[in-house]
Formats: sequence, structure tokens, C-alpha cells
Amino acid sequence: MNDAPGLTVDGIAVHDTAGNVVLPATSLRVDRGEIVAITGPSGCGKSTLLRAILDALPDGLTRAEGAVSWRSETVHSGRPARRWRRHTVGFLGQDPAGALNPAHPVHRLVAEGPGAPGPFAIRSALERLGLDADELWRRRPGQLSGGQAQRVAFARAMAGDPELLILDEPTSALDTGTLGLVVDLLAARRARCATIVVSHDRAFTGRVADRVLRLGGHDRSPGSPGSGSRGGTVSGDAVLSASRLVVGHPGRGPVLEGTSLDLCRGELAVVLGESGGGKTTLLRALAGLHPAASGELRLDGGHLPARLGERTRRQLRAVQLIAQNPADALNPAYRAGTSVARTARVARGLSRSAARAHASELLTAVGLPGADRHFPRELSGGQRQRVAIARALAAGPDVLLADEITSALDEEAVLGVLGLLDDLCGNGLAVLLVTHDRDVAARADRTLRLRGGRLDAGPGNTTDRSEDTVAAHDTIAP
Amino acid sequence: MSRFLAATGVLGAVVALAVLGGHVAPRDPSAVVGPPYSAPGETGLLGTDGLGRDVLSRVLAGGSDLVLVSLLAALAATTIGVAGGLLTGWSDGWTARSLISAADVLLAVPQLLIALVAAVAMPGPAAVVIATVCGGSPLTLRVVRDATRLTRGAGFVEAARCRGERGPVLLTREVLPSLTGLVTADAGMRFVMAIQLASALSLLGFGAQPPEADWALMIRENLPGSGLNAAGVLAPALVLAAVAGAAAATAAHAGRRTNTGRLA
Amino acid sequence: MTGVLPRACARAALVLFAVAAGVFLLTDVLPGDAVLARTRGGAGAAELARLRAESGMDGPIWERFARWGWSLLHGDAGTSLLSDRPVSTLVGERLPATLTLAACALAVTVPLLLVLSWWAGGLAARSYGGGILAAAAAIPQVVVAAAAVAVFSGLLGWLPGVSLLPIGAPPWHEPALLVLPALSLALPSAAYGAGLLSGSVADVRTLPHVGDAILRGVPRWRIATRHALPLLWAPAIRVVAVIAGGLIAATTVVETVFGYTGLGELLVSSVAARDVPVVQAVALLGAVVVVTGGVLADVLRGVRA
Repeated sequence: MNDAPGLTVDGIAVHDTAGNVVLPATSLRVDRGEIVAITGPSGCGKSTLLRAILDALPDGLTRAEGAVSWRSETVHSGRPARRWRRHTVGFLGQDPAGALNPAHPVHRLVAEGPGAPGPFAIRSALERLGLDADELWRRRPGQLSGGQAQRVAFARAMAGDPELLILDEPTSALDTGTLGLVVDLLAARRARCATIVVSHDRAFTGRVADRVLRLGGHDRSPGSPGSGSRGGTVSGDAVLSASRLVVGHPGRGPVLEGTSLDLCRGELAVVLGESGGGKTTLLRALAGLHPAASGELRLDGGHLPARLGERTRRQLRAVQLIAQNPADALNPAYRAGTSVARTARVARGLSRSAARAHASELLTAVGLPGADRHFPRELSGGQRQRVAIARALAAGPDVLLADEITSALDEEAVLGVLGLLDDLCGNGLAVLLVTHDRDVAARADRTLRLRGGRLDAGPGNTTDRSEDTVAAHDTIAP
Repeated sequence: MSRFLAATGVLGAVVALAVLGGHVAPRDPSAVVGPPYSAPGETGLLGTDGLGRDVLSRVLAGGSDLVLVSLLAALAATTIGVAGGLLTGWSDGWTARSLISAADVLLAVPQLLIALVAAVAMPGPAAVVIATVCGGSPLTLRVVRDATRLTRGAGFVEAARCRGERGPVLLTREVLPSLTGLVTADAGMRFVMAIQLASALSLLGFGAQPPEADWALMIRENLPGSGLNAAGVLAPALVLAAVAGAAAATAAHAGRRTNTGRLA
Repeated sequence: MTGVLPRACARAALVLFAVAAGVFLLTDVLPGDAVLARTRGGAGAAELARLRAESGMDGPIWERFARWGWSLLHGDAGTSLLSDRPVSTLVGERLPATLTLAACALAVTVPLLLVLSWWAGGLAARSYGGGILAAAAAIPQVVVAAAAVAVFSGLLGWLPGVSLLPIGAPPWHEPALLVLPALSLALPSAAYGAGLLSGSVADVRTLPHVGDAILRGVPRWRIATRHALPLLWAPAIRVVAVIAGGLIAATTVVETVFGYTGLGELLVSSVAARDVPVVQAVALLGAVVVVTGGVLADVLRGVRA
């Protein structure tokens, strides 16, 4: 029984409307009784592969070739695939709580699961997940806690005893308590169904999966070369310092409560912290876009006004900010070269032709030679982010404030940008980088952690513990 | 993209034909050339109207005033609306707030009433312009104000502030160019609004007056004879629909282009 | 949630006041006045001035506005300058015809609008839906009405091209008369409304639970009715309110084309005849419809939220 073929995916490839390959031809096989994990770095096409298998690709993507079969029978695209999903596949997405229709009570939510489970199956599915079926029966998602909502969503995927179970990033979707229950349930029902788990968490996949398939190219090695090895260029005097900054948002309490910071010439300092913890606000306060209510800023030892409008031209030029969102970083009406050159002209007073030439050089330096003549809509998010970096550099700053600038970039671009920052720091530029990426943080001279509105010295460079629990890898057949 | 070009092409062709059509009309649009309501082909390609005038020539000649007045009205409404929208979106002061209130009140007055009253008090074209400005620029103002509000905090505006640009330069050099698509789209919709108003006024007898050749007036005049020569009604109706439809489709595409440019 | 209704009503009252003032101001621009109309040119300048002073018409505009508003609040909309009959009677005679026409048009518009917006909302990423809807909505009402007459009455002869109501007979006694006017009102309104609603539809269709339902293979009609539609009621009612307001202007054109004696036709003939009290009353009635629709939508949205 265990060797009955379950899901066979034979060379499916996904293209976008322009014919670009989004996912190269990929094959895999998941038999009954097997738990297969698909891993890979973010953006490598894990979700796309899942959706291609399910024949539910988002608008603009098409399955260009290949076939999916279930129990040796081809699942044809369109209505047959829809029916197959409806009756055979239990699916738990990345946002289980959001996947619940806010207008429906729990019993009706679960009843919509694969195989249309009856009241008894619904009740037992809820109870197996440690939920009180009687109490929750008529509640709507708004009346459930986050953890309860996740379990209800999982109960829906499991209640009808589906023959194929697909979990998309369960470790980021579920809290630890629910995840434990899910792992136990997977183990309990493994003989009866085929299971696919998509996850980037190697510790988790190593724990639950029989096989791990890796998708996409090489991934970034944590603590990559160069971490902490850039010493020697940091000079002792602070170029930008802030003391006891208090910054608030109207209508809310202060976000920063007495934050102090000294940034030295040639230093790459990283700020870590929880989202919503005020990292962006700190950068905007330093840049003068969000004036601090109190506290003092000093640039090269001299007073730096909190308000942008009160800063002198030289002070404006010295502090440049690169914002987080690459979508609106560039004016859609101007070519990349124009945006960069304009900064060189206004901030440094270069002539038109000198500014153009300088812009060209800077764009080459950020790895975008020849991008001058492109409009933002012709550039990817990562490319726009790099143009924004070039634009900030065009002012000739002493301090660069960078907000999550690597989050929109792919592997190679991150390395390129980090290399560029290294070079710039070598020439005396001070960089304050906000990030949540520990690999990026590992390359900093100094790590700071923003917690409770204050900056502490950071946790240091921790190694990735999940590394030593990796299960046997095979690579997905290309 | 190709559909955008197609819509723009159709729009350009129809507008050009409407404005210049009078010069290529095969006959004098006001001359009687045959029996009333002769069927297409009998007299002229599209037959004749109730007075025996050539329908084709009247269709060719009947759009220039309508289209030119509508273009003027759209230009006026968009200019006023964009100026107001930039101002109210950028500053939160007293002037901005009172402008917004004025726009809201203008929007609540039925537009057709403004047009009708204006048409009684002054010549038809002026009435179309005034009614389009009163009913259209408040809409433009709202759209542009919202977009300006959003753009005020956009990365490229903050980057410009960081390099030392100030208010008026930010508005004209950064905000306004980034809204080009939006403003184009809006101007298209104001043009459509003006066409609708102008044709409604002519139909109700407050716009173009006989014996002028005017699409909406032709519809009104030839409707009783639609059983004898339907082309007398359908031909002007078709060109009217083509002008308005092509303008709206182009505007919709122009609007979408900005969106993808800013969000994708 | 509490206080939604009072707040919406207060805002509506303010807007109505502003509209009343606007309408009064506008109609004041109309050349000629009641006295001139009533004397039919048979009085000299001195006589005219005396009559105006007598009826309080030489006062400043705010005084006349206050008097008009005051009597309006007491249910007195004045007297027609043309026929000397009370405005309320004139309006009352025409109201059923226009209401019937509007109701028939809405009965076609609403389902059509929902279907069209569902279609266009799903096409947002593929672009042509919005363009087609925008083009359809842009076609002037004049064109739709005229084309309907020319095709269905002129060419095919299926339906009457004019909808002359028999005097005293309610419009629903002759349903055939209503078909073409109602259809020509409904088609552009549905396209326009669908254009407005398709944005909300696209938003709802990208909600996580809808995307999840697609992934789980839930049939499309079920996604539409069970997962999306309940979230679309509030914006849909808002759109229908906007359309109902637009119908006032649109009926004016359609009633004129079909010779259908409704309020719109009354408005046009009154403007042409400078019959100011009638114009004011009809225009204000139209504004009341728009504003009431807005209040209804606000309240529903507030209750849901």
C-alpha cells in the first residue's frame, strides 16, 4: 500500500506573461505515507511551485509545460484540477487566521474543508487540536484568539481526512503550541496520506520530513566571509551623535525614549530590533524628517537642528537617508540618471554635465551600469533600491542612514550592496543600517539593539543553530 | 500597451475627424439635396434628414464645435482642479480647508441644473464650460489632493527634502510630474463629462440651435424619422459614442499606467 | 457604532442646506422674475417695482432665501409662475411616473452592475476590463436613448419609440412604454456603477480568505456568493446611492427623448419658462435623493464596521 504512487509532478515550469521563466522545469514525487519537505531561500519559487501543482497560479503566471498526476492519473488544468483540490487536498496557507472568512462561524468554516466533513468529523477534528468544539462552534473568527484561529484553519485542512496535505510555511504561520500539535498529528496520520511541507526552517523540516527537497540556487552561508574582519578603518571621533532623543507620534506615546548614539567615521553600525520598535523612526529623526521632541543632535561636533528645514545646505548634504520601500523611492516621471544627477546638482552644486557624468559613475558603482536611461517602472524592486542608494551617495554624504535596504534584494544584490558599503566605509563614510537580517548584521562593526525605546549594545554575532540539524538533502531534479 | 495605443489612436482619429470633418464633407451640410428621410444610398451614403439635408455631410460637420468646446471645458476644469488639489493636498491650512468645503458644496448641487441655468443665462458653449468646471474640478481636486497626500510622504519626495529642495520646487518638480498619468486620466474623464453635458444640453434644446449641424441636435431632429432613415440617428450617435468611449478608455489606461509605475 | 446615524444625519442636513442655498443662488441668476412672468409684460417699471415690494421680492437675497426656506420647512414650496398652481401639486402629479421609471431602471441596473463589477474586478490585473467599462460608461445618455429608439422602434418596430402616458393613468398600466426608457437608463448606469464597484471587488478578491478558498478548490459561484458578496454590500449600496442620484439627471434626458411626462421633463420645461419655484423644488428633491442615499450607505457601513 505504501508504494502506491501519490502525487507525481513531471517537469512543470512557470512563465510570466512576458515569457520569462519564473520557475524552471521541476519534478518531484510524493508517495502515500511520505512527508516531503520543500525548502529554499525566500523568493526561490516555493510558493509558485505549490500553486503550479495546485493549478491556482496568480494572474500573470502560467504553467508553461509539464504535468501533475495523482495516483497515476493526470490532473487536467481547469475544472478537474479545481475538483481535485476541493476533494483531495487539505491546504494550510501562510496566513491561516486570515484565510478564515470573517463572516462565518467555526463549524461552517471547517465544513468547507476537503471532502465536506460532517458535524462529527468537524467536532473530532477540533477536539484533536485541543479546541473546545462546543464553546467555539458558533464563534466567528473575530471572536477567536490568534492561536485558536490557526487551529481552526488546520482543523479545516484535516477534518475530511484528505489524501494529500499541503502546508505552506507552517513555522512562520503557526505559533509554537499549535506547531507542536501539527507535528504530532502529521506523525499520527502519515500512513494514510501524502504530505508536502514547504518551509525555510531547516530545523523543522529535519524534524518532520522523510525527504527534503531543495529548490533554487546556493543559499547564503551565515556569517559569511568578512564578518567583523573589516577592522582598521573606524576612527574614534563621532561624526553624528544623538543624545537622549525623545521622539513621539501624534496620538501615541513616545516611540524613542532617551535614545543615545555615537556614529564614528568609517563605521558600519547595525540596528536590530522588533518590527514596530521604532527603528525607522530613529533614522527619520536623525535625518530630520521626523523631528525629535527633545534631545540633541551633533554633526562633526557642531549642533545639528532637529528639523530638516533649519539645517544648512552643508548639513543637509552630510546626512542622507535611504528609505525602506523601493516602490516609491524614485519619482516615476524621471529616468534613474535624472534622479541621481538632480541630487548631485542641488546638494553639491555640480554643473549639469558634471552631475550627469557623476550619476553614471555612481550607478555603475552600485552595479547598474547603463541604468541612467531607465524609468523606475522598468526596474525591479532591488534595482530601484540600488538607484536610491546611488542617489543618496550623489549628495556626497558623511553619514548614510539605510532602512532595511537589503530586504528587497536577492542574494547576489545583497552581497553587492554590502560590498559597496564596505568600500564606502573604507573611505570614511559612516553607515547606520537598520535590518532584521542576521547575516547582514554579521558584517557590521557594531550591532545595536533597539528595545523599549532605547539602544543597547547588541547580542553579537550568533551562529545559526539550525545548521547542524539539517536532514538528508536531495536536490529537485531540474 | 498595444491596447493603450489602439485607444489613443482611435481617440486621435475621431477627434481629428470631428474637428476637421467639415472640410471634407462631400456636400454643404445645410443644403437640401433630396427628399426628406431618404434611405442610405438613395441620396448620399447615409441618406437625408427630415429637411432633405445630407446626413453624412452633417455628421462630418457636426462635431467640431462640440469637441472643441468640450476640450476647452476639460482643460479649464482640470487646470483648476489640479491647482486646487496640489494646494489642498500639500498644506493643511485654513485656505486649504475652505477650498475643500467649497468643492464639497459644489459637488452636492445637481450638475445638470447648473448647466441648464447657465445655458438660459448665457451662450451654450459658456454654459458647458461653466458646468464642467463646477461639477468636474471638485472631483479632480479630490483625486489630486488624495494623490498629493500620499506622495507627500513618498520616498522620492523625502529624498528631495533631504537634499534641500523646498515647498514650491517639491510640488512642481517632484509631486506634479509623478502625477502625470493621473492628471491625464482625469482630464480624459472631464472631457467625457463635458461631451455628455454638451450633448444633453443640445438634446434638451438649450445648446446648439437649428439649423446648425450638431450631433446631439441631429439626434433630436431625426428621432421622429428613425423608422424611415435610422442612419440619421445612428450615425451621429455612433460618432458621439466613439469620441466619449475612446477618451474614457484612454483615460482608464493612462490611470493604470501610473498605478503600475508607482506600486509594482 | 453608536452615533453613526445622528452624525450622518447632521452632515446630510448641512449638505442639504448648502445645496438649497446653491440652488437658490443659481435660480436667482435666471433672467426675469415672478412678477415679470405674472404680469406678462403688461406692466410698466413703476408698477413692477410696486408689485415686487408688495411680495417682498425686492429684498436682499438672504432675506428671500430665508423666507423661501422657512415656507419650504412648512411644506409650502410656493406657486408656479406659469400655471399659478401650487408647486407641490405639480410635483405630486409627476412623481409617480418618474419613481416608476427609476425603480424599473434600478431593478435592471443592480444585478447587471454586480455581475459586471465581479467580471471587471477579476480582470484588474489583465487590464482590458476597466477600459471597456470606462468606455461603456462614457457613452452619453443621449446616445443610448436615441440608439434604443432607432433600433427597437425605428428599425425593428418592436416597441413604441415614444412613451406618451395617457392622462391620469399610472405608468404601470402600460408596461411596454417603460421598457425602452428603463433600459436606456439602466445600461450606462450599470457600466458606470460597475466601474466604481470593481475596485472594491478587486480588493475583496485579494483578501486572504478568498485567495485561500481558490486554493482549496471552492467553486467560483460559491466564492462569489459566500465569501465575497457579504463584504460587498456596503460599497455596493454606496454605489447604488450614487447611481440613484445620477438617475435624476439621466431621467431628464431620457424623459425628453421619449416624451415621458415625469419630473425631469418638468424641470426642463420649467427652466425654459423661467418658472423658478418649480425649478427650485425639483432640484432640491433630486439633492434629497442623493443625500439620503449617502446617509444610508454611511449608516450601513458604520453598522457593519
